Amino acid sequence: MARVATGRAHDLVGATLWSVVQSGSIIVVLIGWELLARSGLFTAFLLPTLSSVLARVVEDATSGLLFFDLAVTLYRAVLGFAIAAVAGIALGILIARIPAIHWLFDPIVSIGFPMPKVAFLPVFMLWFGVYDFSKISMIVFNAIFPVIAATVAGTQGVDKHLVWSARSLGAKPGEILREIILPAALPQILTGLQVALPTALIVAIVTEIIMGGDGLGASMIRASRYADSPGVFAGIVEIAAAGWLVIKGVEWLRRRLLVWHQETQGLATM
Amino acid sequence: MTEGAGNGAAAIRVEEVSHQYLPARGRPVLALDRVSLEVREREFLALLGPSGCGKSTLLYLIGGFLPIGAGRIEVGGRAVTEPGPDRGIVFQHFALFPWKTVRENVMYGLAKQGLAKDEQARRAQEFIDLVKLTGFEDSYPAQLSGGMKQRAALARTLAIDPQILLMDEPFGALDAQTRILMQEELLSIWQRRRKTVVFVTHDVQEAVYLAERVAVMSARPGRIKEIVDCRFSLSGPALFKSPEFVERVDHVWNLVRGEAIAAQGGSA
Ligand SMILES: Nc1ncnc2c1ncn2[C@@H]1O[C@H](COP(=O)(O)OP(=O)(O)O)[C@@H](O)[C@H]1O
Ligand SMILES: [Mg+2]
Repeated sequence: MARVATGRAHDLVGATLWSVVQSGSIIVVLIGWELLARSGLFTAFLLPTLSSVLARVVEDATSGLLFFDLAVTLYRAVLGFAIAAVAGIALGILIARIPAIHWLFDPIVSIGFPMPKVAFLPVFMLWFGVYDFSKISMIVFNAIFPVIAATVAGTQGVDKHLVWSARSLGAKPGEILREIILPAALPQILTGLQVALPTALIVAIVTEIIMGGDGLGASMIRASRYADSPGVFAGIVEIAAAGWLVIKGVEWLRRRLLVWHQETQGLATM
Repeated sequence: MTEGAGNGAAAIRVEEVSHQYLPARGRPVLALDRVSLEVREREFLALLGPSGCGKSTLLYLIGGFLPIGAGRIEVGGRAVTEPGPDRGIVFQHFALFPWKTVRENVMYGLAKQGLAKDEQARRAQEFIDLVKLTGFEDSYPAQLSGGMKQRAALARTLAIDPQILLMDEPFGALDAQTRILMQEELLSIWQRRRKTVVFVTHDVQEAVYLAERVAVMSARPGRIKEIVDCRFSLSGPALFKSPEFVERVDHVWNLVRGEAIAAQGGSA
């Protein structure tokens, strides 16, 4: 037990050091940006200084525009992600359990998963227009594949001995899915969701850049059209920050949901 | 059939049971070929045979986990069609629910019996104490050693009080020392609670020591080759050195050795 405790302390020190080193590299990049922008090698139009970009971010924040754009983008990304999550898990379970559905969907998923699905964006514009419905459909279409693939793999990979144990302890066949299969497959399903969420955010921004409307992507492309270069770079900083927050949020959720899992336990003793 | 062990009545009757596996790729595997076996009430029976001879398959069929293709299996006079809490099972790799704590694992079957929450907790504690896991109630399986996991699995199975205990090489994954301790504990639990035990193993000494009767299986396709009576007048550590024990181990060894060689040749 003592060994575990020191191990944990070790990990903690290591993790803290590592995050300092990591954010250190970001600070180096940011300082490099500022110096490069001030060096005169580039015009302020091609590369505005970091300080002017940050000033723009602060300006966007105080005017409320940043939070409006952020809210619009996150609304689309999170709604699309939620639909993809629910539908993807349901479809994944059906594919894993019903041979006819497996036969129908498995080839589609194998082709669709690795395919760059943004290629369908012009089709979605033709069919659904450029408003929220079109954007959110595009997000669902992109984000659903990793969820389906992870759910199929996760539920099919469940150790049959777990199911047998539950049955012999008195579980009815109808109780197995919810009580055994889903919790056992949860780590893998969460991994699929962790791929799907940033995908949803990326596609939200891409659809905004291409289709316009409000949101972080739309503001960036508008700034670009007006040759407002601090505005474009401010958009990048804002998107990076939003992405980072989303990823950290999901990691936190994963740790909360998987307290029982080896990855959160550290190594088992003995 | 050999007379003696148990009180005579059949707890489990296996009649002419065959089982064929149909793998997704490759040829069908005939794992069991017309096996017949009777396990008496409150008897401790070991199924012994070389690896791959169909021991687990037979146990899973009795458990109701695999469909019975040919033949018939009766438990307590009723044909087996599905798993049920009358037949508790312990697997070699424990099969604990990793997302549940030790206590929650043990309470799972109790909840299925419809017990009130506090009664579930009380009974779970009783069996956690019985297998000497007191203090680890709130640990997750990933935090336990192999021996502790097997104790937890045993507690989970014993807590629902099955008449029959099916055990598939339950101590096979444990180190030698833990294994001996667990064997002692299993014997003492069996003596106190008097259940029918079907214990699968490929360890001759373990079978002869634990069981009242040892059913030796032939290499694949598995059949029951011989049933050896292994009840002794002595018990405890002294037994291991007694001539009758040594002689019986030797006899069973000779039965198994031929089959192990056949299994090696057969699988090549
Ligand atoms: N799911 C399966 N699919 C195909 N063959 C199997 C399967 N399970 C077991 N077998 C084969 O059936 C035979 C008996 O297996 P098993 O009952 O596990 O033997 P034992 O428990 O005695 O080692 C072995 O040859 C094994 O390879
Ligand atoms: Mg086996």
